[in-house]
Amino acid sequence: MVVNSIRERTITENSMVILLQGLQGEVTTVDLRNESTARGRVVNVDAFMNVRLEDVLYRDRLGQLTQLQDLFITGRNIRYVHIPDHMDIMKTIESQLAKIHRVRNFGSEGGGRKEFAKKTK
Amino acid sequence: KVDEREQPTTNTVEEPLDLIRLSLDERIYVKMRNDRELRGRLHAYDQHLNMILGDVEETVTTVEIDEETYEELYKSTKRNIPMLFVRGDGVVLVAPPLRVG
Repeated sequence: MVVNSIRERTITENSMVILLQGLQGEVTTVDLRNESTARGRVVNVDAFMNVRLEDVLYRDRLGQLTQLQDLFITGRNIRYVHIPDHMDIMKTIESQLAKIHRVRNFGSEGGGRKEFAKKTK
Repeated sequence: KVDEREQPTTNTVEEPLDLIRLSLDERIYVKMRNDRELRGRLHAYDQHLNMILGDVEETVTTVEIDEETYEELYKSTKRNIPMLFVRGDGVVLVAPPLRVG
């Protein structure tokens, strides 16, 4: 998944959100600020930590369970994200960074768009 | 920081966040909002204090007031999580683990 805005790419590259983006496709539990939890497959995480989950089991703070096909959680409402045991954190961060750099360097040889190109004189 | 990209990390302590850098891979104590505390191994952090903690023990403390005696009953609930991403806006303070049990 390619993030299209330069701003979002820069924010992602400079914070730990990049690890959460590497969780796409994994099933995790997200603990929300309102004491409820949502367990499901991560569809997408953006630079602001907004999360889309699918096939979710949502447990409210009273323990009541609800099944949801699709859930969008605002970044501000997240307290924790459980990282699956099998994940290699460093590898995930490195591969996510590589993806961003691939996008950034795309077309640079052929005179494509350059982000933060240094002015040479 | 876990990832050293363009700038290599320095060894001197220049700003408060550098103190946290000294605790990388060490066990730390994190006080969070809503009467929560975390004890775990710091694997990574960023400028927002988003953190990755391993082998975490979360303690949630609640106070109940006895209706008759008006005593304050402090209860704490603990749980263990192998690997946790913590959103920085919930963090109040970060310290080496407290010695007192």
